[in-house]
Amino acid sequence: MAIELRDVGFVYPDGSRAIQGVDLRVDEGERVAIVGQNGAGKTTTVKLMNGLLKPTSGDVLVDGLSTRGRTTARVSREVGYVFQNPDDQLFAADVRSEVEYLPKYLRWSDEKTAARVDRAVRLTGIGDHLDTNPKDLPTAVRKFVAIAAVLVSECRYVILDEPTAGLDMRGLELLHGLLDSLRAEGIAVVTITHDMRFVIEGFDRVVAMAQGSVVVDGPLSAVFCDDQVLERARLKRLDVAQLARDLGLSTTAVTIDDVEVLIP
Amino acid sequence: MALATLRDVRFTYENADQPALNGVTLELEPGLVHGIIGLNASGKTTLCGLLRGLIPHFHSGELTGEVVVLGKSLLDWDPAELSRTIGCVFDNPFTQISGIRDTVFEEIGFGLENLGVPREQIIDRVSAVIEELGIAAIAEKNPNELSGGQRQKVAFASIIAMDADVMIIDEPTSQLDPEASEAVFEIIAQLKARGKSIVLVEHKIDLLAEFADTITVLYEGVVARTGPTRDVLGEPGLEAFGVRPPEVSEFAWRLAAAGKPLPFFPVTRAEAARAVSQRIEEVSRGDRTA
Amino acid sequence: MSVAPLNTIADGYRRVASLGNPILDLSPITLLLSIILVIVVAVVGSGWVAPVVVSVVFVGIAYLAGRGTRYLVNILKLWLVVGLLLFVLRALLVKGETVLIPLGPIAVTAEGVDEGLRFSTMVMAICGGVTLFFALVPMRHLTLALERLGVSPRASFVVLASFQSITDLGATARVVLDAQKARGIETEGNVFVRAKAFFPILAPVFLTALAATEERAIALDARAFNSRGPKTSLIQLRPTPAWEWIIVAVCALVAATAIYGGVVGWL
Repeated sequence: MAIELRDVGFVYPDGSRAIQGVDLRVDEGERVAIVGQNGAGKTTTVKLMNGLLKPTSGDVLVDGLSTRGRTTARVSREVGYVFQNPDDQLFAADVRSEVEYLPKYLRWSDEKTAARVDRAVRLTGIGDHLDTNPKDLPTAVRKFVAIAAVLVSECRYVILDEPTAGLDMRGLELLHGLLDSLRAEGIAVVTITHDMRFVIEGFDRVVAMAQGSVVVDGPLSAVFCDDQVLERARLKRLDVAQLARDLGLSTTAVTIDDVEVLIP
Repeated sequence: MALATLRDVRFTYENADQPALNGVTLELEPGLVHGIIGLNASGKTTLCGLLRGLIPHFHSGELTGEVVVLGKSLLDWDPAELSRTIGCVFDNPFTQISGIRDTVFEEIGFGLENLGVPREQIIDRVSAVIEELGIAAIAEKNPNELSGGQRQKVAFASIIAMDADVMIIDEPTSQLDPEASEAVFEIIAQLKARGKSIVLVEHKIDLLAEFADTITVLYEGVVARTGPTRDVLGEPGLEAFGVRPPEVSEFAWRLAAAGKPLPFFPVTRAEAARAVSQRIEEVSRGDRTA
Repeated sequence: MSVAPLNTIADGYRRVASLGNPILDLSPITLLLSIILVIVVAVVGSGWVAPVVVSVVFVGIAYLAGRGTRYLVNILKLWLVVGLLLFVLRALLVKGETVLIPLGPIAVTAEGVDEGLRFSTMVMAICGGVTLFFALVPMRHLTLALERLGVSPRASFVVLASFQSITDLGATARVVLDAQKARGIETEGNVFVRAKAFFPILAPVFLTALAATEERAIALDARAFNSRGPKTSLIQLRPTPAWEWIIVAVCALVAATAIYGGVVGWL
């Protein structure tokens, strides 16, 4: 059970090429961070994963079925996508209605709805706000409401677009908690992010993109220990890891812990 | 003359049951970059609105306490004059764009047009700002068709084009990648070098540590800490206010906890490099026990 | 797609704004008045010949202005959808004596056909004129011209912002539909499926737009929009030469002749 991109290319209607020759596989339960500059093709790639875009060349398969010929909504129930701006996805008068929208739309039984809504609410920690209007909630909480509304479909893969943007420390803690819970349930998480600390603290696989291609796809070290990759994808190491290199203490340190042991 | 002085300021928005500012006392000096940090809903945006005079003229509610901006009490300021003296950018890029100009060039010049600045000067000023922000590639694009990050840059450019002496900037890098964020901070540093006063609300603590002169931590509507950057970030316990210390500072605390304290406490990358080098040197010379 | 260097863009504002075509460069006011006067020709009188001639004239002007193809495509769409509908409705519903196609109560009569032709061609001529105006004149130039005549910048803002919000709504609708798709709500398919996906979000979309209004007003204030002093403009609108009034005068003459002809009966 996996999402597979096989030699995928995508050209926008106005002729601009977004990505070319992308091969990628995300298995269930994996945590993948897609990084790179704005314009590198990250958003295009994830939109291809959930069917919002259909490849102009190559093929995208979700659990063995091609996304071509299936509507976006169908694929999205298996590959959830949480937009960067929660206000693009939220519209109900209160949080409960928001999370219940899809179940009611799909006419699920009351028991099924209750069970799945409870799960989504529990995972995202929004239980205290069920009767509040999303507009009256701070941005961080709205993000989690949007995540809950997507998780209710019991998708096996979730795409999070810049989940840390605008989050304060508390929100960040909640987010890490959410990632852990999702992992415990075997749900794969794919995230687009600029926050290298978030990547290093929460993910074990990184896909670095630049100019529409995958520069490298591998463990943290494949990106953060390779100067050329960092250069091409315009990424930076953690300050402390960079410091270790500048002082000639290490060429392999990635996390703060790695560097800490190097100091006498 | 101080940039702004607040004494025991309390403000509750009209239909709210909790005060947004619950006894804020603060003094900000001119010519510096003042960082404001804190959890969402800690009062940061309200504070900006207050300094800028939106409270009480635009946002109604209950305001008590003393607010003095540039030597004059807030209530004595003419709202139009205050808005001309203090430039302001808020964080939602979709509402900061005027919507009535067809190119980014014209959008950035919009404020200057309203001020009646001669055309030639507008052209020079806008060109300079576009170069500074590196957005020449989108200068002819329609601002209404730009991405969130691009809009954020254009909104920022539009305000610095107006060249006010005081600027209040609320989360200008929330949609930007690290490279663009750093570019924005560098421009803010240049503005300060030209003598401007900046009040900057940000989450990116590492960049604030590099560029801000003072830091004020807001927590639940009150000032939890305020003062020079190094003092505020150097005191342990920031996490209690929902603020993560800079990476290098966290590193320093970890080292201290592991029994290998650094000779001095760093808040910036450069300081950290010096501190670590010094420690290594001292240890190898036998001045400290390993 | 190449991007012009910054200097070129900046220099553009040092010159008087020109769209590269003598008709497009006419003052927006000239074009506005002229088109209105020509529309008058189509409206007075009782036949269908005048409106058709006017419509053709409009197409001709569009071509002279270099916007012909686009304009023609739009006009033909309009004729086919709205024009045809108006014609058929009149033809079927207007009662008359000379029955051409017997269909009981909605029989097509000669009078109906005449009325239908008259009404549909007149409406099409008016639409043609309006469409032509918007095809030739950038809204920004119109508001600048009006401001030159003393109209307040607030009024310009309302005009420009209204047009922009229509475009924005389209863009927002697309984003919102994408967001709904991404949640698993079906938006592709027949009209009913789309409607079911779209209607629940209409109200919140409008509400968000309204809520944003306050923020926008603050942002405008930050750009000194409310300042009372004289404003300048990056775009230099061409000063209107005297001879453009001759164009308007000629159109007025034609319109007056048409009115006379309509009254007297030979139109």
